[in-house]
Amino acid sequence: MPVGPFGIDPVIWAPLRLVIAVLLVVGLVFNGALAQIYLERKIQAIIQDRLGPLHTGPWGLLQTFADAIKLLGKEDIRARLTDKWFFLAAPSIVFSPMLASYVVIPFAPGIVGADLNVGLLYMTTLGSMTVLGIVIAGWASNNKYSLMGGLRSAGQLISYEVPQILSLVTVVLVVGTLSMVGIAESQPGWQLNVLVLPLAFVTYFIAGLAETNRAPFDLPEAESELVAGFLTEYSGMRWAIFFLAEYGEVTVVSSIVTTLWFGAWHGPFVEVFPLIGVLWFTLKTYFFVLVFMWIRATLPRLRIDQLMSLCWKVLIPLTLTNLVVTATLLLVFPSTLVPVAIANWILLAAFVLLLPYVQRRRLVALRERLRTAA
Amino acid sequence: MLDFIEPALFAILTIAIVAAGAGVVLANRITTSALLMAFTFLNIAGMFVLLGAETIAMFQVLIYVGAITVLILYGVMFTPQSPRAYGLFFQTQKYWAALFVVPIAIFVALVAFSFRDSATLGAKGGDLLPLATSVFRDFAFPFEVASVLLLAAMVGAIVLVKRDEE
Repeated sequence: MPVGPFGIDPVIWAPLRLVIAVLLVVGLVFNGALAQIYLERKIQAIIQDRLGPLHTGPWGLLQTFADAIKLLGKEDIRARLTDKWFFLAAPSIVFSPMLASYVVIPFAPGIVGADLNVGLLYMTTLGSMTVLGIVIAGWASNNKYSLMGGLRSAGQLISYEVPQILSLVTVVLVVGTLSMVGIAESQPGWQLNVLVLPLAFVTYFIAGLAETNRAPFDLPEAESELVAGFLTEYSGMRWAIFFLAEYGEVTVVSSIVTTLWFGAWHGPFVEVFPLIGVLWFTLKTYFFVLVFMWIRATLPRLRIDQLMSLCWKVLIPLTLTNLVVTATLLLVFPSTLVPVAIANWILLAAFVLLLPYVQRRRLVALRERLRTAA
Repeated sequence: MLDFIEPALFAILTIAIVAAGAGVVLANRITTSALLMAFTFLNIAGMFVLLGAETIAMFQVLIYVGAITVLILYGVMFTPQSPRAYGLFFQTQKYWAALFVVPIAIFVALVAFSFRDSATLGAKGGDLLPLATSVFRDFAFPFEVASVLLLAAMVGAIVLVKRDEE
């Protein structure tokens, strides 16, 4: 009789492993969301020169727990004219793909749900499924503002998927594998992908901000324009599930960034004691989560036309150029990555330096047109 | 010992695909149809995974669930909802539908049964490499022709919906 890990029969071990993994991930998402809400409040408070949560528990640490218990205890309200089944199903449709994408995140050597050979594709696929839930939430609420939020979300997410995937493909070209574990293993020591492909990192991060509906791209739930967008009719735990999904998505995007550009679990002492890779992975991921919060506290929201023109007129041409240049250089110099790195840094510098110049010229042209019209 | 899992999964997926497919045609509201269609696509992706074609399964979900269904819902939302029963609307075409579906079904069944005794699938280890070599090397020209066609269609669509600027 074959014996699996820990002396357990493999027939029992396979479902048992699934149950353990799902419980771990649910715990991770819930606790991660609690931690992130606390961090978000504190960091926004620091940036806005306030104190933030202070009174519940030491340093206000228990504030989010209190809020979570309040949300759990709230009555489950559904307006009469909403579309019952769609309304009830939408939070799960948003939440479950996010949960499923934790399967391929490489936390440490050997600590990964499943080493799919199309892991990265799997993650982008699941990321693209959230939009379905948001659109349904907006439609089923039977509310103009919700519908607007859902429609904005559909337009935004489908558009930003293009630069997102193009940035990821650039990395895949350099690394030569789609498996998340393979990508993590390809960056030992200081050979981080961000040194080779900084532009792909920047474009992916911008697209990731849009993909998770975070500020400055939080148009689907823009509270000053659309009440709360697709969230307007939701309350209590259903509303909380949308937020859990959003924080989970932020973590997923941050862990993709960590894995693809910042060497995943690699750090000191990992070779001696592999479990410490979880610590490095978490620290790196939460650094990017903090950057998300920093951006939210400092940048104003974009208008919908600015959002679209940023995607279609700036990001997509830029990522396409990057892809073509990287592919060509990889074919011309198959043995070294230095030309790719140089080209990428030059493109990044051009992007950063030219963007304000182009914006100023557009503003001048706009003012000119207004003056002639007046 | 675990041999029963694959046929069981196949049975579940088949039932889900056929039932959801029937639901797409029979449902009274077009949004229900769209969502059931997304469900059908998801199950077909599961079928691809069973066949060992994970990459195609991923693209199936990415394009059909993540993009096409969303675009259909997008279109539906801009259309005023009327109390008219869409199911009945579809069912008036049932004779025409039967006329087209039956020959296609017979053809598909014949093709499917002709594969029954052929060699089993390629080795495990993913379909990424065979897919990439066939698309970008063996069939690069047809692939490019198809993409140019799609590009032309896209440009045409943009020209059609573009507002005239004064």
